[in-house]
This record gives sequence, C-alpha cells and structure tokens, in this order.
Amino acid sequence: MSNEPLITFEEQGSILVGRIQATSVLDARNVAAFGSLLLSRAESTPGIQILLDFSQVSYLSSAVLNELLKVHRKLLETNGSLRLAALNQDIRKVFEITNLDKVFVIYDSLGDGLRKFQRSIAIEAQERSWNNIGKQE
Amino acid sequence: MAETFFSAVIPSSVDEIQEPLLQAVAALTERHWVPRGREFYARLCLEEAIVNAIIHGNASDRSRSVRLEMTEDRDVCIIKVFDEGEGFSVDEVPLPHADAVSGRGICIIRHCMEDVQYNKEEKCLVMRIKRKVEDHGVQDHE
Repeated sequence: MSNEPLITFEEQGSILVGRIQATSVLDARNVAAFGSLLLSRAESTPGIQILLDFSQVSYLSSAVLNELLKVHRKLLETNGSLRLAALNQDIRKVFEITNLDKVFVIYDSLGDGLRKFQRSIAIEAQERSWNNIGKQE
Repeated sequence: MAETFFSAVIPSSVDEIQEPLLQAVAALTERHWVPRGREFYARLCLEEAIVNAIIHGNASDRSRSVRLEMTEDRDVCIIKVFDEGEGFSVDEVPLPHADAVSGRGICIIRHCMEDVQYNKEEKCLVMRIKRKVEDHGVQDHE
C-alpha cells in the first residue's frame, strides 16, 4: 500500500475541503483508515462543515459508503455536515442504487460545491440569527 | 458444455482480496463478459460478494476460506462465491433504508447482475451475467 495520505485537508473559508488522493485508494484494505481519518476530524471540531472531493477517485465499494454514513451521523450531532463533490458517473450511480443520493448533498464539481455549500451555510446562519431575534422578542 | 475459466481460494481477510479480485475481473474481460474500460461494476459486485462471504459467511475466521469460481456455458457466465457459513436467502435481505449503515452489498449486486441467489446446498452465492451483443456483459448503467 502507498504511503501517500488518503485525504489532504485544506480550509476554504468556513469549509474544510478534503481531497481524496489517488484513484482507487478506497478498497477494502484502507477503508477503515479512511473512515477513522474523517471521524477524527468530525470529533475534534464540532460543527465542522466538510466537503469531500472525489475527483481523483475511480472506484469504491459499499464499505466506503458505510464509513461516510458514520461520519455524516456524527457531524449531524453537532450541526456539522459532510457533503460530496466531483463523483464520477459510476460512483454517482452507486449512490443512486443504494439510495444515498437522498442522504448526501452531492455537487457536480468542487467549484460548484464550494460556491453552493458556502451559500447554504450563509443562509442557515441568517435563519439562526432570525430565530434568535424571534426568541428575544 | 460448461467450462470453468477461473477459480481462486481466498483467505478470510479483507486485506488479501485485491489480487484475486483483479485477476478475476481481468479474466471476465478477456472472455468478453465485461468490456474493457467498463470493469467498475464487475469489480464492485465481486468485491461485495467476497467481502460478504468473509465477514458474514466465514465470520472473518482465518481458518475458513472463500472460493471464487467462474464458469461459462454458451451465453451465460456463472460466478460462484463459496463460503463456510450458515448461508442466507438473498430475497430476505431487505433493501437498506437510506441511512442504514450496512446491507448495501447485496443491494448493489441485485441491481447490477442479471440474477443473484444463494445456493444453500453448495453454500455459495451464485451470480449470472448474460452475454449481450451491444455491451458484452454487466448491465448498462449509463
């Protein structure tokens, strides 16, 4: 197995972008390590907003889907979220077959994802502030 | 007359499936059951079946093994994944709820293969691919 990191992280505004490295890293040998890496980010930063870039990924199995769901659930506990971007056609189809396209927000590209995710965070912040004003009144 | 064109014995460890898995996919491609460049779903179905056999069939017990056998008989390719467990009924595996954390492997295989059943007598998952004139193999997902 290669020593390159499974995911490289970079903060872009209020979003943590995780770029999955290599084309077929998410096979049975490193799925658990992949899940642990994401879960540790979710646990160490409550409320974190993660956008995962799949543009380098050509293959994954259902074990990866299970890891993504665990992270998604953990993030929901703290109002964080995990969104996905740049899935190839085959991988996107796997999400559709397994109904996970209804669980995850999936963007066509990283750029598209960053723009729309940022906007949705801004709208949610606005709604929270309006709710707080309503409670004070 | 049926001809077995690939067989492999795989230890019950998910860390050791990649080599036989990729060899099996290459064999399917060479025999024109799966077109070159379209191996994604064949690899996925084989991996899901083998991992299920290791984890659920053999309970990850390294003293047990999984056997993969691929046979062709005219216009049908039959893929069998043998385990040493108690067996199960594919039809009784429910479709996973959207947020269920497991159970998607069989769901994927059911969607991609022409047919899938568990043979309790032989203790194997049996998947079938029918040769197609247009795309030679696993169902088109375009």
